[in-house]
Amino acid sequence: MENFEIKDDITLPVNNNAPEEEKITSESILSTIKASCRKIRSNTKVFSLIKTLSVIFASVFALVLLFYFLLYIAPALKELPGVHVTEITNNVELKGDPSYRKQITQLNRDIQRLSRKYGSFTSGQSYIVINTTDNRFFLYRNKKLVREGFCSSGSYTLLQTEGDRKWIFKTPKGKYWIQGKLTNPVWRKPDWAFVEEGLPIPSKDHNSRYEYGVLGDYALSIGDGYLIHGTIYKRFLGMPVTHGCVRLADDDLEVIFNTLNIGSKVYIF
Amino acid sequence: METETEKKISDTNIALISISVFLVIFIIYYSVMMMLSPGKKYAAIRNEFGIDTTEKSRGSNPIFSDSTYLKLLKEKAFLQSRMIMAESDSIYLTLNLSDSTMNLEISGVSVHQARFSYMEASKIFLKGDENLILSLMTSPFTIAKDRATIKKEPVLVKMAPRDTSEYKPDVVPDTSLTEPVNYILEMTDGTRIYICQEEEDNARERRSQFRFDLNYRMVDAWSCMKSIVRFRIPDYHLYIKIYLPRSDARIIYRAIPKYGQVGLYR
Repeated sequence: MENFEIKDDITLPVNNNAPEEEKITSESILSTIKASCRKIRSNTKVFSLIKTLSVIFASVFALVLLFYFLLYIAPALKELPGVHVTEITNNVELKGDPSYRKQITQLNRDIQRLSRKYGSFTSGQSYIVINTTDNRFFLYRNKKLVREGFCSSGSYTLLQTEGDRKWIFKTPKGKYWIQGKLTNPVWRKPDWAFVEEGLPIPSKDHNSRYEYGVLGDYALSIGDGYLIHGTIYKRFLGMPVTHGCVRLADDDLEVIFNTLNIGSKVYIF
Repeated sequence: METETEKKISDTNIALISISVFLVIFIIYYSVMMMLSPGKKYAAIRNEFGIDTTEKSRGSNPIFSDSTYLKLLKEKAFLQSRMIMAESDSIYLTLNLSDSTMNLEISGVSVHQARFSYMEASKIFLKGDENLILSLMTSPFTIAKDRATIKKEPVLVKMAPRDTSEYKPDVVPDTSLTEPVNYILEMTDGTRIYICQEEEDNARERRSQFRFDLNYRMVDAWSCMKSIVRFRIPDYHLYIKIYLPRSDARIIYRAIPKYGQVGLYR
């Protein structure tokens, strides 16, 4: 209680002084402003310039506000009206109703049936998932991930000749399956391999079309000429550099070759 | 001379006041039209799916206000929608607002999962009528068009060399993948899914996101304006805005086909 009294004593003189100081300063400021306004008004040129400037400033400000309204405030207004919300009652009497229980049982049964059907889409056998954006692969066996690593997929290069022939080097996306398995595969070079290097295109079975040892020890065909194979350019693994095939490191390729069978699914995205 | 100047000033004042009054009236009219647009959309959905949300119809069947029943109905609807998508061989996207996940799937097999930390959505998606949500979930959405800051297919055109002297070995492509990833998938029914990258590490990324957002807002404002000046209520687009890690956002955009399908669960 004593403390309060002391505090009041100390603060009183300060409070008394403050309004006096403010009164003096505000009056002087006002009079200065009034004087300068009179001066400006007497000078018509300066007055009209200031007026024009303020009109321009106000117009620009109004325009900015209008844009802000149209782009930000107005779309937000769309969310203002209330929505019709479902009133959840969870009626206890309803829970005991036999027709309600019958409907719930039927729904549960439907959900189980649909879940089983949906689950059956995922093969219990081995399959591989290839991510062409990050150039990674994921090998699954019995619905469990058993190996993952880097791969190389299509470079998205569009090779064009002056004669209007075109090839696009991209890995196809979607669901595929292993259609063939090869050991010590030989690359039969297609036309684009010669065009790309500025070489003349040889006849169909010319010796120069066959290249040995560049596809690694194994190759798995997924159709349309696309292969999952090895590479001699290991430093490019994890990058999109191929002509559409999927390249893998030797040890990954061996595991995949031994895990996947003909008919195994290949999911590319 | 003085009266002429005074007349000029009063003319300018009248013009300014008229413009201001016109602007205020226009803003009020614009605001009212904008606020009416969700109602138009609700009515359209109700008509399309034949939903009766009146209290009278609800009172007659209390099962429609039972949470267990509604939850099971939604689960069934989502599964049915996924079954439809799985039967096509195409890559599709499932969006689960309940557990904050996005799944890329091919024929029923989940090939990539992304978890989002933050999302915004139309009121209808967050707390709207369960019957409306249910009707939106029963069949998948189909993408009609998209707009993005990255290319769907980063094609690089290369002219074939005329002979071996012109041949240059391939330069390893830039894989730093630092470009900001923001995109909008617009569905055939007008629903929009905005995907924004979570990371805003530098000014360039923030600028890119702002520019992208501003660009789309301008397109939207223009279409609203066109409707409003014709005294028509503008279209309301249901939306979901999701913030994803950049890598996941890029993977999803590059994987999903141009006219791909999206399944929704809330």
